[in-house]
Amino acid sequence: MGIGDIWNLIAMQPMINTLIVLTHYLFNNFGLTIIVLTLIVNGVIFPLTLKQVRASKAMQDLQPKIAELQKKYAKDKEKLAREQMKLFKESGVSPAGCLLPLLVQMPIWIALYQSIMRVLAVVPENLVGLSQYLYSWPIVYSTLPLENNFLWLNLARGDIFLALLVGGTMWVQQKMVMSPTADPKQQTQSSMMLWMMPIFFAYLTLSFPSGLALFWVTSNLFRIGMQYFIGGWGGLVKSESKKPAGRDKKYKERIAKVEEFPKLDEFPKLEEFPEGDADIVVPGSTQEEGSSYEESGDKRPDRGGGYTKSIRATKRQPKRGRGHRRKRG
Amino acid sequence: MIRNTVPVGKIVLLVVLLLVGLTVLGCVGIKSSPEGGSGGTIADGTIFLSPSVKQPGGLGCTPAAVDSKLVALSAAEGTRFWEVPLEGSRSGGGFGCQSSDTPAAIYGSPAVSGELVYIGGYNGKIYAINIDSGALRWVYPREGNLQPIIGGVTIALDRVYFGDADGKVYALDAANGDKQWEFTIGDKIWATPAVSGDRLYIGSFDKKLYALSAIDGTKQWEFVAEGAIVSTPLFYNDMVYIGSFDRYFYALDAASGNLKWKFLAEKWFWTKAVAYNNTIYAGCFDGKVYALGAENGEELAALDLESPVYSWPVLVDGRVIFATEEGTIYAIDTAVNQATLLADIEEAIYAPLSAEGGVIYIYSHEQNLHALNAVSGVSLWSLTIK
Repeated sequence: MGIGDIWNLIAMQPMINTLIVLTHYLFNNFGLTIIVLTLIVNGVIFPLTLKQVRASKAMQDLQPKIAELQKKYAKDKEKLAREQMKLFKESGVSPAGCLLPLLVQMPIWIALYQSIMRVLAVVPENLVGLSQYLYSWPIVYSTLPLENNFLWLNLARGDIFLALLVGGTMWVQQKMVMSPTADPKQQTQSSMMLWMMPIFFAYLTLSFPSGLALFWVTSNLFRIGMQYFIGGWGGLVKSESKKPAGRDKKYKERIAKVEEFPKLDEFPKLEEFPEGDADIVVPGSTQEEGSSYEESGDKRPDRGGGYTKSIRATKRQPKRGRGHRRKRG
Repeated sequence: MIRNTVPVGKIVLLVVLLLVGLTVLGCVGIKSSPEGGSGGTIADGTIFLSPSVKQPGGLGCTPAAVDSKLVALSAAEGTRFWEVPLEGSRSGGGFGCQSSDTPAAIYGSPAVSGELVYIGGYNGKIYAINIDSGALRWVYPREGNLQPIIGGVTIALDRVYFGDADGKVYALDAANGDKQWEFTIGDKIWATPAVSGDRLYIGSFDKKLYALSAIDGTKQWEFVAEGAIVSTPLFYNDMVYIGSFDRYFYALDAASGNLKWKFLAEKWFWTKAVAYNNTIYAGCFDGKVYALGAENGEELAALDLESPVYSWPVLVDGRVIFATEEGTIYAIDTAVNQATLLADIEEAIYAPLSAEGGVIYIYSHEQNLHALNAVSGVSLWSLTIK
């Protein structure tokens, strides 16, 4: 059994047959079925989407700090990487948190829209191909081929209004998650993304059957609603319209704590510390002193205490120059 | 030790590219542009064939067929007598998978009557062309287009009969293309009509088989199945035989439309059946050919060809020849109802088969025309016709 067969068995067949059966129970209205199934799928993968949206949002909130670090350690990539990782750890943000849920969701979306395309059976070739995906349920056979008309739409053909709707909802959704940034490079990138993606998808919508566009619009509206409940209108309006709730509040609090941490160049210089006074060090200082963690025998320089812990008493043992262990007394 | 920075911007860009890539890749293998699937028709040693002229499509998409042509070839060795382009609305495949205009892909096989060969296209046009010169005699409609014509045309009673995707059945004067009557069904018609006597039979997406007067288009009766009908009815011994998407194969009284018997298979019936010696041979998408008693629908044999049967079969010297989607060609011995593998061309076959003088002609999806000996299955010649 090839990968295509496995894909068909676990993704395409269930999705296609669900679409057809659902159409039967939704008054043989395929447009309504697309909307309902898109909402169902969105609901099923809601926890994953929520995780991804939160992670992306938290990541964006960290952008000013990251930019600061990048500026600070522009010439020392290794150090920059360590500092960034530390920042992520302190704020409870994982870069993978943005990607992993998305990667898990992608096959579901692909299966859904491939199914929509197949079930629409725009040309005879599609209908012939569709037969191999059908379960032997009488209801499936009596429901096919599906009616392509929905409202003013022929679901098998592109539609200009729906294309504009796809572009518009995508723009709104992106704008909502977009955080303002002072970095001009990042600003340009964000601005490009904000316009390029909606334009690209609007163009695709024109050349794809509008059944697929209906799926995109429904998905976009669902996400807009979800993002509104998570973080309000976000970047869509200038002022904060909604308080962060629940888990997002935790993210924000953790990020806020990180932000309380003074800038690295604000720390007292080595000479300012009295000799042998204390043994707690500024995080990240080891590399400056030319000593690696392996050399010092410490596998983890920081065990998650982070910046906030460190700044309580940032003193070090100047002569030993390592300072990863605490000495009592 | 971590050696690289975490480029957040690049991650976002990567995600976007991934999304776009997967979106485009997601349409791979799904055709939304018609490619055509016409077979050859033989008349007096000449094969008439309508290959699609495929144009490259957009990124990750199936090529869009925007034009077609009618080719006349010698049945003996495949030499080309003439070819004429069949006009289609010019369009590109676009970046997506669908072209905005209507291509002239041809699904129905040409029909020959007298000095003209007739053909209908996905572009909603019917063409009548002189069989000797390839000169266009008439085109219908003269201005504009009908909805896509996916089924073939049938010639009888000096008329050209066909249905379109708008759910209308038309009868045109075969000599000049003037419309004689039209009958509105209301749902798509992908089937080729069958005419017997003064009656026309045609199936539709509305799950009905209609019997119309071939003279004036008035409805005689209708039969309601449980699924759409895209196959062409078979008229045999005052009965009409038709398969449906509901997996049933129906036998109806031709005069009244009353159901005589029905037979349940595992998948769709798409192709036309063949009758011989009081037995009906019906190919099915479940990869089997069912030999059924014409009178009572008794299953005499279920011959497993191991691949869906889509193309129309042919009857050659008491043997029924079926082709499968995978490219295998079987001969069914009607005396014992047993199938033997005749040939394997290893190319997908959707187009109707045709035969003349002990030779079978098969036009594959890969646009190769094969001529095989109907008894031995030996390849006589093979040509690429594009």
